[in-house]
Amino acid sequence: MTAATTATLQRTPVKPFYFNTSAHLLRITKYKANTLAELLDAMRASPEDSIFQHTVRTLEEHHFLRAGFSNDFAYWALAACNEPSLAEALASVDVREFTSVAELRARLVQLLEKHLHQDPEIGTRAAEETFYFCAADSVVIPTGFQANTLHEFADGIRRVSVHSIHHHFIEARLRIKLMSNDFSQWLHEDAGLTETARSLNRIDIYTATLEDVREQIVRIVERALA
Amino acid sequence: MEPAKPQPALSATPPESAVSPVAPARPERRTAPRTWETQPVPVLSPHLDDYQSIVGSAVLDELRFLARDLKGKTVKMVNSTAVGGGVAEMLNRLVPMLGELGVVTHWDVITGGNDFFEVTKAFHNALHGNQCELTRHAQEIFLTYSEQNRQRMQFNEDFVVIHDPQPAALIRARQDGPARWVWRCHIDLSNPHPQVWGFLRPFIEQYDAAIVSSQSFARQLSIPQYLFYPCIDPLSEKNKQLEDSFVQKVCDEFGIDRSRPVVTQVSRFDRLKDPLGVVQAFKLAKKYVDCQLVLAGGGASDDPEGAVVLQEVKEAAGSDPDVIILDLPPWCALEINALQQASTLVVQKSIKEGFGLTVTEALWKGKPTIAGAVGGIPNQVIHNLTGALVHSVEGCAYQIRYLLTHPEFAAQLGRNGREHVKENFLMTTNVRRWLLLLQILLRGRAT
Repeated sequence: MTAATTATLQRTPVKPFYFNTSAHLLRITKYKANTLAELLDAMRASPEDSIFQHTVRTLEEHHFLRAGFSNDFAYWALAACNEPSLAEALASVDVREFTSVAELRARLVQLLEKHLHQDPEIGTRAAEETFYFCAADSVVIPTGFQANTLHEFADGIRRVSVHSIHHHFIEARLRIKLMSNDFSQWLHEDAGLTETARSLNRIDIYTATLEDVREQIVRIVERALA
Repeated sequence: MEPAKPQPALSATPPESAVSPVAPARPERRTAPRTWETQPVPVLSPHLDDYQSIVGSAVLDELRFLARDLKGKTVKMVNSTAVGGGVAEMLNRLVPMLGELGVVTHWDVITGGNDFFEVTKAFHNALHGNQCELTRHAQEIFLTYSEQNRQRMQFNEDFVVIHDPQPAALIRARQDGPARWVWRCHIDLSNPHPQVWGFLRPFIEQYDAAIVSSQSFARQLSIPQYLFYPCIDPLSEKNKQLEDSFVQKVCDEFGIDRSRPVVTQVSRFDRLKDPLGVVQAFKLAKKYVDCQLVLAGGGASDDPEGAVVLQEVKEAAGSDPDVIILDLPPWCALEINALQQASTLVVQKSIKEGFGLTVTEALWKGKPTIAGAVGGIPNQVIHNLTGALVHSVEGCAYQIRYLLTHPEFAAQLGRNGREHVKENFLMTTNVRRWLLLLQILLRGRAT
């Protein structure tokens, strides 16, 4: 540990970190698709909270899966349309590369358009089951955990629900419109731990469960404390 | 959801010639003990804190926070029956839990003559897609009893939740004021009879919101529609963790050898559950893997078609001592639970299904589950992630073989399946959905 880092750890972070979480209620929208062409139309027209639901929120709903699930569009392309290459392309979309749902939607639309352009007939083939576009109405909830020190921060990470981890670590970038997350922002801006903040941003959420993600965050923070 | 059928007499029915001279040594198969022939006394509803060891304190804290803004608010739930059936069972748990959270919840039941319930039964079937002639007389009966109930009941609560079509016309009692009205539909509306749906729809569109159990049950409506998956109670007799000694006792009673793999399907003897297909799949699988099949269900004593199906299943099983067929009464929840817990794999090879709560139960018990890709099952079984979806007898047989010979993969499916239920299909999740909906309605955000 450098002298500068030691000095940083000895001072109290500028602001406490308040752990929140969010609860969501699924609403069924009027958009649905029985073919890939219909999926493309609905993907273009559906509200932003619907795109958010089927990409970001679905990761939270399936937080216990370590591999094989990325977003609902990819899963449907494979399971209902038997289009593995499209499924692979859609699954490769990492929600953390986007700071707005509009950009995320544009990327998904682009991939689907490209695939249908290569073989337009695929677009009209009936899927095995309908894709229903849903959206979530959300309420932010305080958890009661608050961190005034790095030790308390690590302890909070250990104790809050995985939904709180998702709220701060994954959903956050669409809220704060930055290529970062609430934890890294706090570590960087309020605790002065820029390298630790960067390390958190390198955690792969697509090959880990949210419990794994929690453990990795704790390990990184503990390393900074060591 | 349909009301529960009358309780049949108990019978444990091993197939004809169940004891084969070449069969390996196994526990003696016996009928169920006499004590099971009477319905047990209902157990008291658990308290919120009782769920802490299952879902964790963070989940309960969330519920308490969500309930904070609703403290002192009142809710009235209205359905058509106080006992029997899934809706009453669910309300029996939900109403005290909301009350414990400070949301005072009343539960009222509509009344009606046989003619009313005949009409509503026909509506129920018609909404499931069956043929129906919607006569003026039937409409009059429906409206007359609805009016009688409207005059008898009072609606002074902040929220009124009407369950299913039978009381749907009570919306006429709505007056100008802040009260919010919600229609909770528990039945499959994916292919409703157009005339019957056309008759009910104007009532439904007067509500502030509707709730359905699956995305595919949503209709084009002018009001917002929310998705509430059906749920199970992890502390109920059917789902609580049992002592292994009890599980062993039940297996001994029914002649199940726990030293060998056990494949189980729990369902009524109903063609739509395809028990014959399960026997065929088992026979195909058994050519390659050693296992026993348990088919546990009911419906054969009170349903003539169920008795026919049961007979066909017994004939298909033939003299195979490894096929164990149990026709159990509806109050054998603990025994069903024990059979599920004793299983190596659980199958639900339905051809048509509502949500498939037996799948939820199996997943909750961490059992690798093979299920037909119908109804609400794909919401629960994500193929090769939380279980295996199948479309045929051969597919089912293959999955039985594969999962029995790849126990690590099977165990991973089981673990994922349990987490999936914990996240989405438990009673506590449903309480959270209710609190969220009430909050959203309170803030006028349902659009």
